[in-house]
Amino acid sequence: MAGKSLVITSGKGGVGKTTTVANIGTALAMMDYKVCLIDADIGLRNLDVVMGLENRIVYDIVDVVEENCRLEQALIRDKRHKNLFLLPAAQTRDKTAVQPNQMESLVEDLKKEMDYVVIDSPAGIEQGFKNAIAGADFALIVTTPEVSAVRDADRIIGLLEAEGLRNPEVIINRINTDMVSRGDMMNIEDIIEILAVKLKGIVPEDNIIIVSSNRGEPVVLKENPKAGQAFKNIARRITGEEVNFISLEDNSFFTKLKKIFSFS
Amino acid sequence: MKSPITFKVAKDGIVLTLDPEANFNRIKEALRDHVNSATNFYAGADLYINIAESSFKIDQLNEIVNIARGYKDVKNIIFTSDVVKRDTVEVNNEGETYLINRTLRSGQKIKKSGNVVIIGDINPGAEVIAGGNIIVFGKIRGVVHAGASGSTEASVTALKLEPTQLRISKKIARPPEESSNKKSLKPERAFIQDGQIMVEDFEI
Repeated sequence: MAGKSLVITSGKGGVGKTTTVANIGTALAMMDYKVCLIDADIGLRNLDVVMGLENRIVYDIVDVVEENCRLEQALIRDKRHKNLFLLPAAQTRDKTAVQPNQMESLVEDLKKEMDYVVIDSPAGIEQGFKNAIAGADFALIVTTPEVSAVRDADRIIGLLEAEGLRNPEVIINRINTDMVSRGDMMNIEDIIEILAVKLKGIVPEDNIIIVSSNRGEPVVLKENPKAGQAFKNIARRITGEEVNFISLEDNSFFTKLKKIFSFS
Repeated sequence: MKSPITFKVAKDGIVLTLDPEANFNRIKEALRDHVNSATNFYAGADLYINIAESSFKIDQLNEIVNIARGYKDVKNIIFTSDVVKRDTVEVNNEGETYLINRTLRSGQKIKKSGNVVIIGDINPGAEVIAGGNIIVFGKIRGVVHAGASGSTEASVTALKLEPTQLRISKKIARPPEESSNKKSLKPERAFIQDGQIMVEDFEI
């Protein structure tokens, strides 16, 4: 099997990278792909908590790199999907415990076994970020409709291009339809205009995300929430499917979406 | 009155030519003025002082060097007697021009001694510093500094001028607080007039 690896990154912290990784990974697994999630945020691991797998960790990514265990021993199988795995970060070490070349060969090994390897990048542009992108075939940038998040996303796109990861795509997370229609939030058009990259998905703000993260149950597992549907659509787009952007209720917003969609 | 000192940008540094006809005190004065008005544009560059056809006493050379040390972080100060013609360019207008064929993103910085032409945007958080003019076939939203070597003749031209900050020579301008109409492109040119940065529509 020759899988694909993708990194989810953002520059700015708190925009929803880990939530995105957990949900996209779970959605891909629900579509019967074999998926491995890597938490590259060494020292500040979170992905295990959001996945609800915290209490199953024995070995972690640093153990693999330092050859304290075999790769298969460190992989945690998801409790809901047998074809979904997590390679957790170490909590007691820091980013310097892994080097980009080690990360690269680790991801290469995983790609032989998996359809998709999804890497959760730490915030920032330092070593942790460099490790996270080292093994990635392509990148998805998560941003929120805030000027500071978009600024950081722009910086990250520049850095990715310098590292040879061309044509990254962007996920706009936590769109609040009310605020956008009142003009209190950056709209999607403005964001895409500045970043000049392709839009991969739009995720509406939803308090249920907080609840589901705390419970360790990705929101895509539930039927109803719009945010869950948005993540499922992103997963389908990752597999190459053409999926229309979901309407986020109010009409003015929908017409804007259509406009974006027509030129992307 | 013609300035007794002239600057040219050469490949490996900046050439300062002293007018052999001029009075030494005038040269000193002009040089001191220039040092005081220069930004840190010369940082890391070599400064060649061309004394061809001039005759200076050793004390006078010392005085010149002492003044020239006032340029921030100039790497070396070198006396030369070559009449530098080839490889040198005027800072403005016909200077060496550097073409950038992409959008500059946040955190990316371009610093050139000549003119800079960009086909693409300058995004917020990006920075362009040029000794000469800056021409952007796109939108300026970051920081631009034209005439960074001290030239007040330099200008900034763009299809849309919305810089975070715009500097020409020693002058700094910020755009008005209220944002303009975001959709349309309106070519504009910024330059110094009467000691102030002016922006006017660029007539095509």
